[in-house]
Amino acid sequence: MSVLTARPALRWVVPVAVVAVVLTAGVAGRALTADADPSLPPRTAAQLLVDLQTSAVTGLSGTVVQRADLGLPELPVSLGGQGSSEFAGLVTGTHTLRVWYAGEQKQRIALLGTLGESDLVRNGRDVWTWSSSSNEVTHLVLPAADHEQPLPTDLPTTPQEAADAALAAIGPSTTVGTDGTATVAGRAAYELVLRPKDSESLVDQVRIAIDAEQMVPLRVRVYAQDATVPALEIGFSQISFETPGDEHFDFQPPTDASVTEASPGDPSAAEAASAAPTVIGDGWTAVLVTDAPDLTASTEEPSELTGILQSLPRTSGSWGSGWLLESALVSVLVTDDGELLVGAVSPERLFEVAAR
Amino acid sequence: MSVVERPRTAPVISTRMLRSELRLIFGRRRNIAGMGVLASVPIIIAVAIAIAGTPEAGEGPTFLSQVTSNGLFVGLAALAAELPLFLPLAVAAISGDAVAGEANIGTLRYLLTVPVNRTRLLAVKYAAILVFTVAAVLLVAAVGVLIGLALFGGGPATLLSGSQVGTAEGLWRLLLVCGYMSVCLAAFGAIGLFVSTLTEQPIGATIAVVGLALISQILDAIASLSPIHRFLPTHYWLAFGDLLRDPISTDLVLTGMLSAAAYALIFWTAAWARFAGKDVTS
Repeated sequence: MSVLTARPALRWVVPVAVVAVVLTAGVAGRALTADADPSLPPRTAAQLLVDLQTSAVTGLSGTVVQRADLGLPELPVSLGGQGSSEFAGLVTGTHTLRVWYAGEQKQRIALLGTLGESDLVRNGRDVWTWSSSSNEVTHLVLPAADHEQPLPTDLPTTPQEAADAALAAIGPSTTVGTDGTATVAGRAAYELVLRPKDSESLVDQVRIAIDAEQMVPLRVRVYAQDATVPALEIGFSQISFETPGDEHFDFQPPTDASVTEASPGDPSAAEAASAAPTVIGDGWTAVLVTDAPDLTASTEEPSELTGILQSLPRTSGSWGSGWLLESALVSVLVTDDGELLVGAVSPERLFEVAAR
Repeated sequence: MSVVERPRTAPVISTRMLRSELRLIFGRRRNIAGMGVLASVPIIIAVAIAIAGTPEAGEGPTFLSQVTSNGLFVGLAALAAELPLFLPLAVAAISGDAVAGEANIGTLRYLLTVPVNRTRLLAVKYAAILVFTVAAVLLVAAVGVLIGLALFGGGPATLLSGSQVGTAEGLWRLLLVCGYMSVCLAAFGAIGLFVSTLTEQPIGATIAVVGLALISQILDAIASLSPIHRFLPTHYWLAFGDLLRDPISTDLVLTGMLSAAAYALIFWTAAWARFAGKDVTS
C-alpha cells in the first residue's frame, strides 16, 4: 500500500488490469466454446447420411440461436425485427429459440423475444400456438389417422438405402462431401458439406454439423458465393439429450386469452392453398412465384412494408418492370403486374422466369 | 466542525459509518421527494387502468394489458416503465452525489481529516448506493403490488410462456425480477460513483450518468451496431423478461449479471484510483 500512497497514479494499474482480465476472460470464454476442432475418426458423406437415419434420439432440449444476415433491409420490430417474439421475424437479425422434443408426439418450440414469447406446442393430437404479445392462442386437433397411415411401399427400408437414395436425388445438382469437424454447443461434430453445381445459384455451400455421438444435426450454415461468414445460421448453443418431462408439453390456454379453434380442413387453410406459390425450376435454382402483397391496400401494417419496397431500386427489361432486391443469398423481384419472385439465384435468372 | 458532529471514526468492523451515510441519503428531503416520484408511477398506472380500462393486448406498454387479471402486474408494469429512465435517474442522483456532493458543500475535506482511509470511505459510499438501489426497486414493486392487489385483486398470472401461476409464485417471480434489476442498477451506480469522483458538481455527475444510460439504450436499439451491443451497460437490462418464462431461461440473466459484475468492478476500482490521487481543495 505504501507505494500506492506515495504514487497514487500507480493505482490506475488496478482498473486497467480489471478491464484486461474481463476482456481476456470474455475472449477466452468465447474461444473455449468456439472452434477448437475436435479430432474424430473420419467418416464419409454416405456414412454420415446413414448415421442421420439411424440416430435414435428419444428426447432432447436446448437453446437454438438463429442468425440471418441475408442483406435484407432491417425490419421494424412491429413487423418482426430483432427482439420481436413473432415467428414471422425469423428472416432478419438474431433470434433465440428454446426447443423441447420428446418423440414424435411431444414437441415444443418457444421463440424468445424481448419481454415476449411465441410458443408452438404439440402434445399428441393437440397443437397449440401462443403469442404473448397479442395474448392469442390457436388450437388445432390433428386427425387421429394422421400417424397410422400405411407407409408408401417405395420408401427406402434401410438407412443405407435412404442415404443412397438421398445421395442419388441430390447428386445431379449437388456435390456432397465432408470437411473436417466442428464444435457446436460444446459437442464434437462432423461437418457435412453440400455444394450446388449450378453456377446460377447464389449459394456457395451448406454446411451441416452432425453430432458425433448422437448423430443429430446440431447446426446448419448457409454460405453465399464469395462469403466467409454464413448468410444464414441456425444451431444449438446449448443442448441436452435427456428426454424433457411432460410438464413442458402440457399447454393450458390462459383464462383471459382469446382462443381460436382451428381444424385441418379449415376454410382459411383452403384459401391459403389457393394462393399457394408456384415453384419454377428445381434444385438450388428454383424460383418461387407468388402474388405480391397489394401495395395500394390501405391497411395499417403493410404501409411500412410498402415503404421498404418502394425504397428498392427500380429495374426493367423485356419482361416488364418492377422493384429488385439483391442480397447476398436471395434475390427478390416484385413486378408491376403484382408478381413476387424469390430465389437463391442471380437477378438474371429471375428476369428469365418473369419473362416466361 | 469536529468528529462529534460527523461520527466517522468507526472501528474497522462497524456499520456506524454506513448507517450515518444511509441516514443522510434517506433523510434528505430531495431524495424523499425522488422516491415519491418513483412510487407515484405504479399508482398512476393502477388508477388510470381502474378508470379507463386496460389497453388491448399488444398495445400500450408491456404487461399493462394483464393488469386487471392479477394486481401483481401493476408492480411489474411499473418496473418495466421505470427501468429505462426513472430508476437510472434515481441511482444516478444518489451515486453522482456521493463524492461530488460532499466536495461541493465543502464537507469532503472534513470527512477526510478523520482517521478513515479513502478506500474504506469509498466502500461505504458504494454500499450505501447498493442499499438505496435495492430500496428504490423494491419500493416501486411493493407500491405496485399493494395498489394492484387492492384495486384488482389476485388471480392467475400469465407468464410469457402462456402458462398461468398463482399469486405466490407470481410474487416470487416479481422478487426475482427486482433482484435482477437491482444487480443491473447497482453496476450502473458504480459508474455514477466513478463520475462523482471526477467533479465537484453533483448535478453534472448525475446528468452525465443519465446521459450515458440513454445513449447506451439508443445504441442498443440500432440494429446495425449489434457487434458492440453486448458491451453496452444497459444491454442486458431487459433480460429480466427471461425470469417470467416457464421454465425460467437463465442464459441471458447470468450473462447480464456477469456483465454487471464486470462493470461494477471496473468502475469501482477506477473510482478508487481516481479518489486516492485526488486533491481535495474544497
